[in-house]
Amino acid sequence: MIMADDKDVLRDVWFGRIPACFTLSPEETTEREAEPYYLLLPRVSYLTLVTDKVKKHFLKVMKAEDVEEMWFEYEGTPLKWHYPIGVLFDLHASNTALPWNVTVRFKNFPERDLLHCTSNSVIEAHFMSCIKEADALKHKGQVINDMQKKDHKQLWMGLQNDKFDQFWAMNRKLMEYPTEEGGFRYIPFRIYQTMSDRPFIQKLFRPVSPEGHTLTLGDLLKELFPAAVCAEDEPKRFQWPYRATVIKQQNPVHFTRRRCSQNAKGDVGTVDQCCRRHTAESDYSFRGIGECFTPDRDRETAGKTAKLTPPPGDFSADCS
Amino acid sequence: MMAGERNPASCYLDERTFRLCCQLFLQHSETIQDGWSWEQIKGTDEGFIKKTLLIPIKSSISHQQLGCSIQDENMAADDIQANVEDETAGVQAVCEIHAVLRYEYHVLYSCSYQIPVLYFRASTLDGRPLSLEEVWSYVHPNYRQRLQQGPWDTLTQQEHPLLGQAFFMLHPCRTEEFMKPALELAQAENKKVNYIVTWLSVVGPVVGLDVPLSYSTEVSAPD
Repeated sequence: MIMADDKDVLRDVWFGRIPACFTLSPEETTEREAEPYYLLLPRVSYLTLVTDKVKKHFLKVMKAEDVEEMWFEYEGTPLKWHYPIGVLFDLHASNTALPWNVTVRFKNFPERDLLHCTSNSVIEAHFMSCIKEADALKHKGQVINDMQKKDHKQLWMGLQNDKFDQFWAMNRKLMEYPTEEGGFRYIPFRIYQTMSDRPFIQKLFRPVSPEGHTLTLGDLLKELFPAAVCAEDEPKRFQWPYRATVIKQQNPVHFTRRRCSQNAKGDVGTVDQCCRRHTAESDYSFRGIGECFTPDRDRETAGKTAKLTPPPGDFSADCS
Repeated sequence: MMAGERNPASCYLDERTFRLCCQLFLQHSETIQDGWSWEQIKGTDEGFIKKTLLIPIKSSISHQQLGCSIQDENMAADDIQANVEDETAGVQAVCEIHAVLRYEYHVLYSCSYQIPVLYFRASTLDGRPLSLEEVWSYVHPNYRQRLQQGPWDTLTQQEHPLLGQAFFMLHPCRTEEFMKPALELAQAENKKVNYIVTWLSVVGPVVGLDVPLSYSTEVSAPD
């Protein structure tokens, strides 16, 4: 059961925002110069769902024949619209100062790398297929299949229109589990990484060990991504070019707090704060062992932990 | 187990069985030079099978099929794949090779659904990827109807989970619908099937991938 005091955490995750500055690429042909466009992006949403105004803004300075499907890039890397915005930001730009500078493109769509997104129904289909896959892991798909079409629609509309209550009225069914069976069958998660062709790691992981112990995020990382976990007395070797993104957690307080606190070594304050972050159907970003960035406002606390972070690119520095 | 009692055939596949079925599948592919190979993900025991095909596309293909009354699956599959001067069913047509397309097929394992999934992409020889509409238009008319009615929701563009690139995927939601009867039939006849052979024989032809009959007779199931 979702604990009552999770509600504020759920709201924090849902309403997390990333300030972004959209600039038209110099490679695009314009009739006159375009001003950059500023927008607060919801972490839990998708780029192509929330950038209609960006498109309208830049179309004003362009001729129709110079406009094809809009896409985005950051420092030359095409941005995958089908990843939640929060994940994209954490993967590509979390080390840099805000606002997030995103480049807008209208030509030379990178066919190999990006999926096409010709309408909102494409985004809806993608979103629903993620929900279904997660439920296949949690409940063998029984909960999502028992829901009616209008319930599915409500989930989507909740996301599209930024309606927390509407969304969670349906999502809570997907986040409940039969306690007698020890919880979800498998935990739906993905560990995204930028340093490999392989976009993410996704494996089967049971929330309970064969001996009946409740497992933690640390246990999951140890088993599936041991490079990210180091012993307590070792200097932290990674500044985390890898981002652990957990799609939904069963029991955030127990699942993450204990392990995070152990590895934190003095970052307990910040870690506890982020450990209470619970994922909705959104994603939850871990940034390193001992520091977390989730909703935008955590940026204010970032200054406090920044001194513990080695400068970007220096992966061998001791964090402590 | 007493006579008459049987465990129901599972239409799900665990990852180890997937790899074993693929190994046996690949051995036969090697024998008949069918072009399949295994791609291993570095540093893991995960991987997938893949095959690349060059398909000549004829401009008059749709006119041919309108005149053709025999709905033979193998014929249709061959038709897509290789025949240039095609004289099937008494219909003679002058076929011009309009283009040669490069199709790449990957069979991956989905641990979420515990079944195999077919990913593919197509491009022209000079590397221009085909859109979904173009891929659709090259699907043989016989199969176009089947694709629309079959036990799969749709053909959609997806990110390849191991390569991170854009592919098309046949949605795996209702694999159970066509695998269950096939597996139950085999079980009733006391035969064991190679899951990948059975599964690919059903889904492959729909997207232009032929699976020669010899796979069904020559490839064994893993123990």
